[in-house]
Amino acid sequence: MNAVTKLRPRTTSRSAASQAVAKQVVTLEEHIIEIMSDSGEGAQKCGQSFGSIAARMGNGVWTVEIIPAEIQPPARSVAGASGNRIRIGSKRITNGGDEADVAVAFNEQVLLGRVNAGELKPGCIILLESMWAESADPKIAAQYAETRDRLVAEGYRLYEVPMEKECRTLVSDPRKGKNMFVLGMLCNLYSMDMGLAREQIAFIFGKKDEKVIKSNVALLEAGSAWAEEHLEFKYRVPAERATEPQVVINGNTAIALGVLASGMDICAMYPITPATSASHYLSDIFERSGGIVHQAEDEIAACAFAIGASYTGKVAVTITSGPGYSLKQEGLGLAVMAEIPLVVVNVQRGGPSTGQPTKVEQGDLLTVMFGSHGDAPKVVLAVSTIEDCFYSMITARRLAEAFNMVVVVLSDASLATAQQPFPRPQFSADWLAPPVDQNPVPEGAKPYDWDPVTGLSHRFVPGQPGGMHTLTGLAHDRASRVAYDPEINEQGMHARSLKLAALQKMLTPPPVVGDRTGDLLVVGWGSTRGAIEEAVERLRGEGRKVSSMHLTFLQPMQPGIKEVLQGFRQVITIEGNWSDDPADPLIDETNRRYTALAMLLRARYLVDVDCWSEVRGRPINPGTIYRVVRERLEKEESRS
Amino acid sequence: MDTQLRDQVVFHLTGRRTGAESAAAAGLRPALLAAYRHLESLRYDFPVVLAEGEDCVQSLTAMVDAALRAVAPQGTAGEGMRRRALRIEREIRKLVAGGARGTLFKLWDAAAQAAAEAGEEAFAKDVARVRSALKPDGEVAGCDADLPRRLIRHAWSVEQRVKARQARDRIGKLVIRLENILRADHMRSAQALQKPELQSSFGGAHQTLFDFDAMSRLLSRGGPVSGLEERRRRRIEQVVATLKSQRFFPAAPGAAAAAAPAYDFEFPDPEAALKAFRDRLPQLVELWVAMQLAEIEVEGNFVEDVHEPLFAGLDEQAITPQDLEFFPDYLVCLASAEAPERAALTAALSSGVPLKVMVQVDDLLEEAVLGHGSLALGLRSVQLASTAMTLGDVFVLQSSASNLYQLRGRLQRGIGHHGPALFSIYAGPAGGAPKLPAYLLAAAAMQSRAFPAFSYDPGAGPDLASRFSLENNPQPERDWPEESFSYADQVLQSVTETVAFTFADFVACDPRYVHHFALAPRAAWGETMLPVRDWLASPPQDPASRVPYVLAVDEADLLCRLVVDDRLIRAAQRCRESWHRLQEFAGIHDSRVERILTRERQAWEEQHRQELAAATALIAAPAAEPPKAESRPAAAAAPAVEAEPARNPDEPYIETARCSSCNECTQINAKMFAYNENKQAYIADRKAGTYRQLVEAAESCQLSIIHPGKPLNPAEDGVAELLERAKLFL
Amino acid sequence: MSTASTCLHHLFEEHHVLEDYQGGVPRWCKGCGDNAILAAMQRLCRDEALRPEKTVFVSGIGCSSRLPHYMRTYGFHGIHGRALPIAQGVKMARPDLNVFVNTGDGDCCSIGAAHWIHAIRYNMNLTLMLHDNHIYGLTKKQASPTSPLGTKSNTTPRGSYLDALNPLSVTLGVQNVSFVAQAVDWIPETLFQIITAAYRHKGFSFVRILQRCPEFVGSMFEPWVHDPQKMMMLMHDDGIRLSPALQKIYKNVEEHDPSNIDRAREVASIDDPIPVGIIYRNPQVPCYEELRGAGALRTADSIRTSLDAEFDKFTIWPQ
Repeated sequence: MNAVTKLRPRTTSRSAASQAVAKQVVTLEEHIIEIMSDSGEGAQKCGQSFGSIAARMGNGVWTVEIIPAEIQPPARSVAGASGNRIRIGSKRITNGGDEADVAVAFNEQVLLGRVNAGELKPGCIILLESMWAESADPKIAAQYAETRDRLVAEGYRLYEVPMEKECRTLVSDPRKGKNMFVLGMLCNLYSMDMGLAREQIAFIFGKKDEKVIKSNVALLEAGSAWAEEHLEFKYRVPAERATEPQVVINGNTAIALGVLASGMDICAMYPITPATSASHYLSDIFERSGGIVHQAEDEIAACAFAIGASYTGKVAVTITSGPGYSLKQEGLGLAVMAEIPLVVVNVQRGGPSTGQPTKVEQGDLLTVMFGSHGDAPKVVLAVSTIEDCFYSMITARRLAEAFNMVVVVLSDASLATAQQPFPRPQFSADWLAPPVDQNPVPEGAKPYDWDPVTGLSHRFVPGQPGGMHTLTGLAHDRASRVAYDPEINEQGMHARSLKLAALQKMLTPPPVVGDRTGDLLVVGWGSTRGAIEEAVERLRGEGRKVSSMHLTFLQPMQPGIKEVLQGFRQVITIEGNWSDDPADPLIDETNRRYTALAMLLRARYLVDVDCWSEVRGRPINPGTIYRVVRERLEKEESRS
Repeated sequence: MDTQLRDQVVFHLTGRRTGAESAAAAGLRPALLAAYRHLESLRYDFPVVLAEGEDCVQSLTAMVDAALRAVAPQGTAGEGMRRRALRIEREIRKLVAGGARGTLFKLWDAAAQAAAEAGEEAFAKDVARVRSALKPDGEVAGCDADLPRRLIRHAWSVEQRVKARQARDRIGKLVIRLENILRADHMRSAQALQKPELQSSFGGAHQTLFDFDAMSRLLSRGGPVSGLEERRRRRIEQVVATLKSQRFFPAAPGAAAAAAPAYDFEFPDPEAALKAFRDRLPQLVELWVAMQLAEIEVEGNFVEDVHEPLFAGLDEQAITPQDLEFFPDYLVCLASAEAPERAALTAALSSGVPLKVMVQVDDLLEEAVLGHGSLALGLRSVQLASTAMTLGDVFVLQSSASNLYQLRGRLQRGIGHHGPALFSIYAGPAGGAPKLPAYLLAAAAMQSRAFPAFSYDPGAGPDLASRFSLENNPQPERDWPEESFSYADQVLQSVTETVAFTFADFVACDPRYVHHFALAPRAAWGETMLPVRDWLASPPQDPASRVPYVLAVDEADLLCRLVVDDRLIRAAQRCRESWHRLQEFAGIHDSRVERILTRERQAWEEQHRQELAAATALIAAPAAEPPKAESRPAAAAAPAVEAEPARNPDEPYIETARCSSCNECTQINAKMFAYNENKQAYIADRKAGTYRQLVEAAESCQLSIIHPGKPLNPAEDGVAELLERAKLFL
Repeated sequence: MSTASTCLHHLFEEHHVLEDYQGGVPRWCKGCGDNAILAAMQRLCRDEALRPEKTVFVSGIGCSSRLPHYMRTYGFHGIHGRALPIAQGVKMARPDLNVFVNTGDGDCCSIGAAHWIHAIRYNMNLTLMLHDNHIYGLTKKQASPTSPLGTKSNTTPRGSYLDALNPLSVTLGVQNVSFVAQAVDWIPETLFQIITAAYRHKGFSFVRILQRCPEFVGSMFEPWVHDPQKMMMLMHDDGIRLSPALQKIYKNVEEHDPSNIDRAREVASIDDPIPVGIIYRNPQVPCYEELRGAGALRTADSIRTSLDAEFDKFTIWPQ
């Protein structure tokens, strides 16, 4: 029945109760909802609120922001879609999932953007603002009609919703109120607890006065009533309420809170998408406890400022994204050479150059490992969940301090804005950076008393009597005196390199999802974790001998990896950075460029690791991974 | 001599009444007080509100006015609101006069209830509006017998709270910084590198990323680089313990209370306060020493062999009044009845303990020990205050309660004074005189010089002129303040005369002393009666021909004269004399000054003519150059003049001050050329090298400040040519 | 008034001699003006009784930037052009430290120009010494931004093409400027006076020191070194005064009030005669580190409190 369902009250009675019985509620394992509008129309707020309500209900939730590249893209433009994808389920949700089941759009153009990108399931339900049909501008009316008919023709279940008309009966400026009306529709559609929904609104508009809250609640209820009355379908995604407190935040907020919890005092940064929101939030909360966010004149200065601060005793952090990271590299080389601890956060975006500022990519792994000229060993770890974002800051600070090393934490645009509930952290004073040591330095102690086994040394900081020395980016001896002779130069290189080995000896092997042997092992790092593990679960559910392994430490790599790799007939990495397609006419074993991790694994473990990757500026979804892996398995089977 | 006069004279001289009527019957009061029958209807300084912060004593009237200024619409529009607010204010006065206690807001609401205008929506709104603008809230206090104690306790506790906040802040910061020293040291200790501590320094699932045994093993290699010396650690721990367990300042409101409760600093009598101070002295010294130690330690300035012996030797001797300022003050409030012998009190005040004593004088007219029935006006109290002044470092404030609001600034200065302070306050007789409110009696006591207000503030300056003040006494240059007074005579003509308010008028307020007065019927009024003021100013030659009187009114507000007996007159004279002494302190009618002045005046007038010429010359002359200001701290002072040494032209030398330390000469011959303490070159030993080197140095010096002089050894080869080259540098 | 407490605090008196501040042996060329700057710095540290462990010299790259190695204090010999942001980080984290910056005309005015401009805006309490010898020395003679038009160098064999950049007028053109002075290495006495004033100024003190490089541009300052009349001595009670000895030599004196920004800008743009002295000072400009509340005492409790307050905003409590 691919026709526009003409919407008229299904009964003349307005008693919601009687209909709740009449309407039969379909129970679902999980569902994906997308809400989009022109930016500024509040689809984002609507989506996040819906996510939070679902989380309060106890559903597993993952929300992904749909962000246009510009601040104010032209209204009703295909590229201008701004909104949210919310994936809710009865179990824990670890990623944005595949195509959407339900799409709500404030105009047909923003909807088109998603349709063309193949983000919607065939036959997906579409709730579309219908006002454009009567638009005074014949062009708009025509566009609307054309798109509507096309979607219907393509088999989407399209419902026209007079959102603005309905809202106008309640508020003067319906353009502002729509999103809450839609929220109401969705709450009804998914049988959410309206009490929680009202609380949520009270929370969002908490800063504003009672009136605002009232009118938004009215819109919410209107939306719910409308849906109850006009939509013949209704869902329920069963959930059990969490037993311990959960926090719902996005990755960048988690990083900012992690910085606070790690006891670092100073964050130096320069604005850059998609990292900046972490610094925004930190700027807002840091000073209350005496912390400082310094917006430097450029990325280089931000890095140097952080190095200067770290040098005096307490580890500092600088937060950036790809282009900024490139600019910081000379400074990072200095920190490595002088063994000044430092935490660097790189929220990756599409590259090279300006690339895709708002889109996700995993393109910086090799840069952060090998970047900066000469041999500049740094610790590199990648976060793979929102919770990870928080704890990684404490870990990074602690390691930087213990090893006097630069620790780079890799996040990306998808984690930056994605939200997922996780258990509320219980703060411990042991997470905090220790106070700056101002005790005298014993006679004859040297700032670089490199330990022959670990390469570790105790550094002296300004204020420590007897520790005076001039730290330098030049090759230097144990006393930090500039040295040009070959032995000393090698001693320094040796010590700085040894520290990675020492750290590696302190790491535990990465866990394996599934059996430790089998037909195929998927290896990944960073934000792809949820999607990979979900796909692997599905395949295992179908009896496939597939496992996965996700790496937190990329440098040094955790022990025990080789053994795991050897347990599988095929090993493949799935990543969000470029790799050549062997099927291309010019590509063969001798010139194929592998993904970053695949290259590293092949080089280190001499295992024939294959790779698959896409750089489409969006999270790789589980369905894709599922298909890719299944093809590999089938190819292998057909071969044998 | 007519009988009435005779009777009056007899009464005046003997106090015996023949014909003269007693004034006992009629409830009389001084004429000048006639106007003040119903205080509630007047807007005056009282009641006051005892608030927190800077100005901790505020007058209700002033607060209401401020609130109205803030919220009441301009002009007639605001009339209603103003009217209502004032009505509430009046109600509050009534309540307070009726003995009601409570905070301003509590009383305001009670008053609003009482004054509520039936069914007036506007009333409620206005009243609420004004209330919202009233700030700050606080206990309301009327001018009654409790006022002095309440007011001074309040001012004192506000001051103590401020001190406590500052002290907590200072101590807290020191504790944090000391504990940071300990923690920083701990973090490099072996223990901090053990598994448990390593593990707890990571969070959540990240703990599973590490093998903490391995981490501990590897990080512990090489061991910690020294750290805190044991002695220093123990010293710091000791100091922290002391700072944390101090009992002089209560824990911050809301903060967890300390193990041992904070000390109390209010005491019933000076002895108890002194005892407490002495008993706590060891703890005080301990805390003080701990803070000195802490401040030196956190800067890393503690040098054991220098500081340790010194600190070991520290005891209360080392503590100065300036140091004591940091600690709370002791408060003692006494009623003059319970006041100890003056000796004891002055001893306490001079003991150097920061003691704030309030003595509440409740009766100025004690019957003197000798000569029953004759008045000795409040000797103890008045003298107490003036004696305290002689102790030098004691802040003294004497005032009647009615005046405390006006003097609140001085009151707070006294409370804040680093040394001891004495507040001697009169708040009306213990019983309270019937008919007259305490406020009026107190005011009358000050008005009549029976209990003048004065203050002595050692902090205000070095000399009496800057320390002593008679501020707030009416017409301080006069013996008795005078006011114009109007009444209607028999034929209802309005008569106005100036009337002085004397000691006798004050005594007339108090029924207990009614036997000092005799009522003089109108018929008896006449030339023979003198106002007390005139009588005291110039007593009549023939005492039998005149009698002194004061004006009074009865309950019907009918004017009458009271003949005053001689004993009261003598008391009034004594009162005037002590007032004169105070005037002299304040430099009013200073007898010596006046004597000198008269003597000098003639002398000056003598010389004046000659001096005039000189004076004009002086004025014409240009004003003397003001001394040049010292070079500012920011700028480096110009180096002092080095006397130019007389040089032998044959001697080689370097203009050392101009040397730019470029090493040219020192590299030619480091023995001959050396650097001074400022790293600038001079010729250390011309014998250490050749003349050739001198000349080469001179040539290579880019600043040409080396002068080779003449060769020591004329035989040095090439000397002729060298001398030629040296010419350039002579 | 000396109470026990005050004298207890003054018991800790360190008396230093120049040698206490002498680090490695300078590796500068014979006759290099940097020696004068080093000597003046060491003298300053001694006379101001700066505690060596509480003093940090930060530098970039170039001949000038080797200075920290020759001091016996803490030093940070960083990377080319970045001395200022590093020094700012040090000061922000540790306002208790005395922080000096030694930089050159290439380090500060070329590769580090962006940081220089912003350092003036931040006005942090640092003292910067611009060792300006008008040439790149360490890289063997290339023209620098302050090389006079026509300077022959390895990159400008036929003479430099552009007019020299004037660091003084640039600095005076930036909002928030609070201290600008010029010294020359060949009058060490005033050099010392000027850096002392700079050190005592609370805020960002910019001292340009004209410095001879006998190795590559030996004749650059010849005329001024040898003709005292070509030196314009800026004197004021709020600035510096000449010692009697120098008064005999330097007679070209101008009474200049450092608080006069307009005259300061005029003076700054004079290159012959060379103005020497304090050109501009405004102690009222706020310091960035103070505006940002640097050096706050953070405690586990204060951090716990604000962290919990934040989590509360995002927490879903089990119903």
